[in-house]
Amino acid sequence: MAVSHGRVPPRWMFGHAIVLAAAFLLPGLFVLIRTVGLGGDLVETLGDSLGPLGRTILLSTTVSVSAVVVGTGLAWLLVRTDLPGRRVLRVLVVLPLVLPSFVGAAAFLAAVAPGGPVHSVLGVIGVVPPRLSGLLPSWQILTLFTYPYVFLPVAARLLAIPPSLEESARLLGRTGRQAFFEVTLPQLRSAILSGGLLVFLYTVSEFGAVQLLRYDTLTRVIYSSRLSDRPTSFASASILILLAVIVVLVERNVRGSARVNERSERFTPASQPLGRWRAAAFGAVGVVILFGVAVPVSSLTVWAWRGIVGGRVNFSRLVMPAINTAFVGTLTAAVAVAVIVPLAVLVVRYRLRSSSAISAVVIAGFAVPGLVIALSLVSFAVNTPGVGWIYQTLPLLIVAYVIHFGAQAMGAAEDAVRAVPDKLRESSQLLESSALVRARRVDAPLMRPSLLSGGGLVLLSTIKELPATLLLAPIGFRTLATEVWGSYEDGRFAQVGVGGLVLISLSAVLTWFLVLKRSEAVVAA
Amino acid sequence: MLGRVLTNPLAGSARAGRTLNTGHTTAGLWLSEASVHIGGNPIVESASLDITPGTIVSLLGPSGCGKTTLLRSIAGLQRLSSGSITVGDVVIASDSVHLPPEQRRVGMVFQDGALFPHLSVADNVSFGLRGWAGSSDRANEVLALVDMAGFGDRMPGTLSGGQRQRVALARALAPQPSVLLLDEPFSALDAGLRLQVRRDVKKLITQIGITTIVVTHDQEEAFALGEQVAVMSQGAIHQVGAPNDLYENPASPWVATFVGEGIGLAGSFEGGYVSTAIGSLPARWVSASPKTAGASVIVRPEQLVLTAGGSAEVTDVEYYGHDVRYDVTLRDQSNVSVRSLSPEFKVGDRVDVNFVGTSVPAWPA
Repeated sequence: MAVSHGRVPPRWMFGHAIVLAAAFLLPGLFVLIRTVGLGGDLVETLGDSLGPLGRTILLSTTVSVSAVVVGTGLAWLLVRTDLPGRRVLRVLVVLPLVLPSFVGAAAFLAAVAPGGPVHSVLGVIGVVPPRLSGLLPSWQILTLFTYPYVFLPVAARLLAIPPSLEESARLLGRTGRQAFFEVTLPQLRSAILSGGLLVFLYTVSEFGAVQLLRYDTLTRVIYSSRLSDRPTSFASASILILLAVIVVLVERNVRGSARVNERSERFTPASQPLGRWRAAAFGAVGVVILFGVAVPVSSLTVWAWRGIVGGRVNFSRLVMPAINTAFVGTLTAAVAVAVIVPLAVLVVRYRLRSSSAISAVVIAGFAVPGLVIALSLVSFAVNTPGVGWIYQTLPLLIVAYVIHFGAQAMGAAEDAVRAVPDKLRESSQLLESSALVRARRVDAPLMRPSLLSGGGLVLLSTIKELPATLLLAPIGFRTLATEVWGSYEDGRFAQVGVGGLVLISLSAVLTWFLVLKRSEAVVAA
Repeated sequence: MLGRVLTNPLAGSARAGRTLNTGHTTAGLWLSEASVHIGGNPIVESASLDITPGTIVSLLGPSGCGKTTLLRSIAGLQRLSSGSITVGDVVIASDSVHLPPEQRRVGMVFQDGALFPHLSVADNVSFGLRGWAGSSDRANEVLALVDMAGFGDRMPGTLSGGQRQRVALARALAPQPSVLLLDEPFSALDAGLRLQVRRDVKKLITQIGITTIVVTHDQEEAFALGEQVAVMSQGAIHQVGAPNDLYENPASPWVATFVGEGIGLAGSFEGGYVSTAIGSLPARWVSASPKTAGASVIVRPEQLVLTAGGSAEVTDVEYYGHDVRYDVTLRDQSNVSVRSLSPEFKVGDRVDVNFVGTSVPAWPA
C-alpha cells in the first residue's frame, strides 16, 4: 500500500473533522450533562429507571440470542446443506429487512384484531387470538425483523470459508458435526458477534414496536415522560447511552484482534445432505418466512384491500407523505455523504491516527438511539438562547438523521476514496493539470458507485425512521412512517395497510439494490 | 491404453504394509475401475492404478481432467459411482462401501494448506492427535521433521506460504496415515520457493517411505517428484510409468506432447524408417504395426541438431543459459524446434536440420 510520506492534508479538512466529531458527540454529551443539570432527586430517578432498564436489557438480550440462533441456523441451512430451493430461499429470508419493525408490529396487531386475517382464520376453528402485548410478542416480533442482520454476515462468511478447512478436519479424524463445531464455528465468531451487536443496539433503541406492543422499555419511558417528567426522561436517555457504550466496548473486547483474514474469493462449499431432516429443515425455513414476510404483508394487504373496496382509503392523504419521505430521505443521504467523504479522505488517504478516532465517534452516532438524539436536539434547541427558531424545522430533522445514520455512509465513503488509488491520482495529474477536470473525469466516475450505495443505505434507514421524526418534524410535515403511525393510533387500519405497503415497496426496491446486490455472494452463489 | 495397470514387479506382492524406521506403517493403494459421475457427467472413468507401498506416484493431467476428483475420492471426500479403492487389504470405497474420511487413515495436504486460522501451529499439528498419549511430543517431532521446530506458538496468518505448506504436511503426517495425498501442494508458492519446498518434501516423504499420490498439472513437477507418473486426461488414466519411460515411450501422441515438447511430423513408413520433412527417421511402432503406409511420429527438440547452410531458416532464438531453443522453418514451411547447447545461430541463418536420436515413436497416420 502506498503510504503518503510527509503529505499533509488541507487544513480545512482538519477543521471539518473536528466540527463533525463535535456534532456527533454533542447529543450524547448534552443528554448526560442535562441529566445532571436538571437535578431532581437523581438517585430516586435512577431507581425508577431500574425496571425499564431491566426490561430493555431482557428484551435486547433475548432478541439478540434468538436472532443469532435463527440467523446462524438459516445461514447454515441455506449455504451448507442440500435443502431444495436454497437459492430462492436465501433471498426470501432477507425480506423481513424491508419492514420497519413498527410497521411489522402494527401488521401483526392488525392481523389478530377482529377482521384481521389471523383472527379470521383462527375464528374458523373457534379460537380467539390474544391481544399481543408484553415481553413475549415483543421478543418474537423483533426477532423476526432483526435476524437478517445476523444472517447476512454469517452467510457471507460461510461462503468465504474454504471447504478444505472442514475437509482437513474430517481427514484428521473428526466427524462432520465435530468438524463444524471445532473448525467452522470459530471462523463464524466475528460475523456472529458483529451481527448480534447490531441486533442488540437495534433493540435497545427500538421504540415503535415496543410502544405498540406495550412493553415498558427505556425508550417508552423517555417518550412518554419527555414533556411531563423531564428528569426521568433524561435519566433514562443517559442510561440508554451508557448501555449502548458498554455493549459496544464489551463486544470490541470479546471480538479481540483475532480477525480472520477476509478473503474475496468465493467457494462452492460441500453441501451436507439433510436426509430425513430435510422436511423439518424446510418447515423451519418456511415458518420464518411465513411469520417474517407472509403474515405481516398479507395482513397489510387484507386491510388495504378492504379499505379500498369500501372506499375508506384516502389516497390523497398519502401523496404528501410519500413526497416528503422521498425528499427528506434524499436530502439526508446527500448531506451525509457530503460531510462524511472528507473524513474518509483523511482516514484512507492520509492515514491519520486522530482521524480514525473521529471516525469511531461517527460510528458511535449509530449506537445512540434516534429517540435520544431527537430528545437531545429538541432540548438543545429549546433551551439554548438564540437557536430556538431551529426547533421543528427541516434542517434540525436532517441534522438528527445525519448524526444517527452518518455511520452507514462511512464504510462506503472509505470504499469510494479507495477507488481512486494514489497511483491513479498521480498518473492523472501527469495527464491533466486542472483539478476540476480531474475531479469530473477521473474521481467522480470512480467514486460514484460507492457513494451512491452509501447514500442509499442512509436513505433506506431514513425512510424507516420513526421516533426522531415524531419528535423533530415540522408541524404538519408528515412522512410515510409518521402517517402509518398516526393512522394506527387512530385505528384506521386500512390506511395503515396502504401506507405500510407503500413504505415496504419503497424500502424493498432500495434494499434490493443496496443490500442484496451488495451481498451478491450470499444471494447468487 | 485406457486404465492400463501399473506394471511394476513389486505390485500386488507386499500390499499388506511394511514398517519403516520412522514408525510409519504405510500401505499399498489399489484403484480398480474407479468411476465418479457428478450430476450425470462422468468426471472420472474407470481409473485403475496399483501402487506399491512406499511409492510416490504423480497424477499428472491438464486442469479439469478429473485428477483432483480422483484424489478426493481416495480421501473419502467424493463418493465413487462404481469401482473400488483398497488401502492395504481394506476396501475403503466400492459400490457398497463408503468409509467416511475420518476412518480412512489418509493424510492430505491441500493447495492452500488449509491450516485452521484460529489455531496455533502446534494446535494445528496436534489436531489429528486427539486421544494420543504424548500428542505434544509427536507434534514437536513432526514439526522438527519439516524443519519448523520452534514455530509451535505462531499463528498460521504470520507464516509465509512455504512455511504454511510445511506445517500442513506436518499436520497430515502427525497421525501416521497409511497414505499421503498432496493436491497441487506447491502451486500457490512462487517459483524459487516452490523448487526448494518441493525438494524438501520429496526428501522427507522418501525418508518416511509413505505411499504418496501427488496431483499436479505441471509435467516438470510430476517427473521430479514421482517414481511413477500416471497421465490423466478427460477422466481417464492414459498411461502409467516411470518418468523416463513416459518420455521415451509415450502411449499416444497426446501423452507424448503433454509430458514434454514434441514435434509431430507426418510421413510414410518403409522398412523401419519414416521419411519426413527432416529426412528419414528410425521409427518404432507403439501399437501393433499397421497395414497402411502413412505414419506420424513425435520428435523431441533435443533429438535434432542444426548445421550451417541448408534450406531451412532460423526464425527465433530463445537463450536459456544452459541451452538454446531455436525455431526453424523448413523448406515446406512447416516448423520444428531444436534444442542445442551452443548459441551459434541467429535469426535469419540458413541451416540444415539433422536427426541425432536413436529412434522415434510412430503411430499409424
